[in-house]
Amino acid sequence: MVRHLYVHLPFCASRCGYCGFVVEVGALDRRDAYLDAVRVELGAERACLGALETVYLGGGTPTLMRPHRIATLLEDVAPHLAPGAEVSMEANPETVDRAAWDRYRAAGITRVSIGAQSFQPELLAVLDRRATADQVRRAVACAQEAGFASVSIDLLFGVPGQTAAQLAADIAEVAALGVDHVSWYELEIKPDTALERMGVPLPDEDWGADAYETIVAELERHGYRWYETANFARPGHECRHSLAYWEARDYLGLGVGAVSTIDGVRWRNRSALGGYLGDMASRGRPGRTEEALEDAVRRRERWMLGLRLDRPLDTVWAGPPDHPDALARLADGGLLEVSGSRVVLTRRGRFVQNAVLHQLMEFV
Amino acid sequence: MQQDLIRNFCIIAHIDHGKSTLADRILQLTGAVTDRDMREQILDSMDLERERGITIKAQAVRVFYTAADGVTYQLNLIDTPGHVDFSYEVSRSLAACEGALLVVDASQGIEAQTLANTYLAIEGDLDLIPVLNKIDLPAADPELHGGAVAELIGVDPASVLRISAKTGEGVAEVLEAIVARIPAPSGDPDAPVRALIFDSVYDQYRGVVAFVRVIDGEFTKGDRLVAMQTGREVATEEVGVMTPTMLPTGRLAAGESGYLVTGLKSVGDLKVGDTLTLARKPAAEALAGYREVKPMVFCGLFPLDADDYPDLRDALEKLSLNDASLQWEPETSQALGFGFRCGFLGLLHMDIVRERLEREYDLELLATTPNVEYHLTTTSGEELSVRSPVDLPPPTNTESIREPYVRCTILVPTDGVGAVMQLCQERRGQYVTMMPIEQRQQIIYDLPLAEIVTDFYDQLKSRTRGYASLDYEIAGYRESPLVKLDILLAGDPIDALSMIVHKDLAYGRGKALVERLRETIPRQLFEVPIQAAIGGRIIARETIKARRKDVLAKCYGGDISRKRKLLERQKEGKKRMKQVGSIEVPQEAFLSVLTLGSSSDGNGTKK
Repeated sequence: MVRHLYVHLPFCASRCGYCGFVVEVGALDRRDAYLDAVRVELGAERACLGALETVYLGGGTPTLMRPHRIATLLEDVAPHLAPGAEVSMEANPETVDRAAWDRYRAAGITRVSIGAQSFQPELLAVLDRRATADQVRRAVACAQEAGFASVSIDLLFGVPGQTAAQLAADIAEVAALGVDHVSWYELEIKPDTALERMGVPLPDEDWGADAYETIVAELERHGYRWYETANFARPGHECRHSLAYWEARDYLGLGVGAVSTIDGVRWRNRSALGGYLGDMASRGRPGRTEEALEDAVRRRERWMLGLRLDRPLDTVWAGPPDHPDALARLADGGLLEVSGSRVVLTRRGRFVQNAVLHQLMEFV
Repeated sequence: MQQDLIRNFCIIAHIDHGKSTLADRILQLTGAVTDRDMREQILDSMDLERERGITIKAQAVRVFYTAADGVTYQLNLIDTPGHVDFSYEVSRSLAACEGALLVVDASQGIEAQTLANTYLAIEGDLDLIPVLNKIDLPAADPELHGGAVAELIGVDPASVLRISAKTGEGVAEVLEAIVARIPAPSGDPDAPVRALIFDSVYDQYRGVVAFVRVIDGEFTKGDRLVAMQTGREVATEEVGVMTPTMLPTGRLAAGESGYLVTGLKSVGDLKVGDTLTLARKPAAEALAGYREVKPMVFCGLFPLDADDYPDLRDALEKLSLNDASLQWEPETSQALGFGFRCGFLGLLHMDIVRERLEREYDLELLATTPNVEYHLTTTSGEELSVRSPVDLPPPTNTESIREPYVRCTILVPTDGVGAVMQLCQERRGQYVTMMPIEQRQQIIYDLPLAEIVTDFYDQLKSRTRGYASLDYEIAGYRESPLVKLDILLAGDPIDALSMIVHKDLAYGRGKALVERLRETIPRQLFEVPIQAAIGGRIIARETIKARRKDVLAKCYGGDISRKRKLLERQKEGKKRMKQVGSIEVPQEAFLSVLTLGSSSDGNGTKK
């Protein structure tokens, strides 16, 4: 039985220059139809739902669904929720105010993740973000006032043109806002994004390493735990839904382009809005592409995901690495620690976890 | 056909001076090939040759031409390769002919290779017809270059033909000149058979096909022949001529050129340059052969994926069926695993073999730095041949080392003389002489072959803005103070990076090599020292930095497969790297030494 539910809400006012997700721009008139379709899909999958420990509404811009649609959706979800369930929603700062936060909270949202990306106007412009730094600050403050159990913000580093001073300013903003949780990603230039087409160069490894090390050190200094590669939390505010992914648990994903993994099978719903709506209208279930996960693949994914965390990976659960002899070598080199059946990356190892992973596992 | 109606000729030309185009035009004009069937440059039948615009295999094509005198002549065009690596094949082709067209680009003039081949032809007592090609080009200077060509071979400038093989202008006159100026063959049709093997190819359905020029006598299909040098019996399963497709004729007679299907399984079974005669009625004396061709350049070829080793062996075996000059023997490298040490005629030959292995046999290969064969005498008086730096005995056991030298002929415009001489000096060259040809200088240097198998030719071209041309011939072995330079990664010597160098150059080369390796080898998980050492003494050191950041930034439910696939692609990318201990070394690193000459002089340095 699945205990983790993801719902994809794809609508956006515009596409950001770095965005490679499944989003729909200029289709706001289809929100009601989409809501209905997702509810139908939820109904169709009811049989596999256990007591849901976490729900995550991601996008797109979920807040463009407006509180009344979110409330309708969560009415359908509510009967499946376990006591104390975490119900997260992503939010864009320019789409919320205090009143909206109150209504989201009333609808059952317990945790919000606000997409700030930066507080520097120059960098927000490079990223095509619509919100201003002031709007970000206000959205965070209002969310805190509204009394969500956790308020998180998303930031990016490695934005083309970003200086060390700008990074320090962003860190200071985060610390001043006193949010409960921070996700701080390095910008990736994904295929088919505006940044890729512009051929923007990314900063070199040393700049990126300096920035990353600074972020980790500063956030730790401000009381955040670096509990996952790109995520930081004050005690008790880790994102339980994300942890489910990193612990390789089963999850159900609803909506256009959403991915599910249940009992060794992963599937992705078709990613075109029109096609998804058409499928739901005609057959009551969306077209999907399925991928059966072989044991070896699941083992490699457990290592790929598990080493992202600051807590040890239990190799009895995960299965052995493809190159067991690499463990001792990496331990000698100060990149990981082995204790019985448990493996955890050292601080230095976490910064180069991808390279460490390639030493341990054979991704074929 | 009566011998006096036969003409055997070849075309001598520098690369790009239009040999293949002229050959095609001759085939067209004599009706051997219809316009409809005309493919560009028919004689260059291998894709690789066509792509590179060079001809590797000599072939003979027979055409009939009705001359202005109303008589129909049989013309045999023996193709010649145009690159220095294959110059021995030129001498084979020349030996099968009574005359040659000397084709020179009317805008470029004589090049070093043309010069060398012209001398070969004159030595071989061939009648030469000078032809200026590309007179349709705006830059053509037929007066100047025509005069130089006439002077080179000692003829009246008025006898130099002016043509454009491209447009066809003047090609008819070339055919008339072939008939009029090239002597007919003069062998004895009634004497015991003597046929010169000037080339052979392996055909997967027919086995070895030999190309021969019959000097005396005649033979027919079914005759038992004997190769006079090796004593090997050769069947004649089929006899015929190339038109240019194979046309069985059942017999070949004195004066003619053609092919015979031998039933042999490998071109190595048949020595090019050998004389075929009839088993039941052998000739008393063989024809003068050619000097034996020996590989001059050696390198290790290793499969990137160790599992491909048997496939590489099969591919080399197949290539050898058709390329008697390719040598190979198993080699084991600590760094690279199992592979083969291969011997080639020259750098181009090496490139072509590598490319064919990768392209036609779908192998991913790693080639080590090319080197030459050293001869050495040990302190106990033993004579050794060393083809790999790894096999060099320690200096304490070595009495003397000798290395192959080549005599280089370089033609260059006068303003490039300084640059050429500087390059030759840097490469341990010994000046021989210099003389003017046309408005250029012919510079002759003796150089160690080891110095030109790296990037000498590229450097020569770049330092003279492409104007210099090069030819070389082997000039024997000379003693040199040579040492082995070892490269150590993380303290371990990497055999595949060892090289043999002149002791005076060792320090500079070692320093440049470790610098180049630092640039070429990406950051590793741990810091890696790179050192150059001579006999255990470290002479240079650099450090590859440790990686500081390598993470997949974001990874959520929807991303898991994508991130895993990204890791799989990264892994695929790593296959282009060679794992040496725990260090990932890109292929280019093993060829770093090739471009060292350009960094030591600060000219054309990468990055």
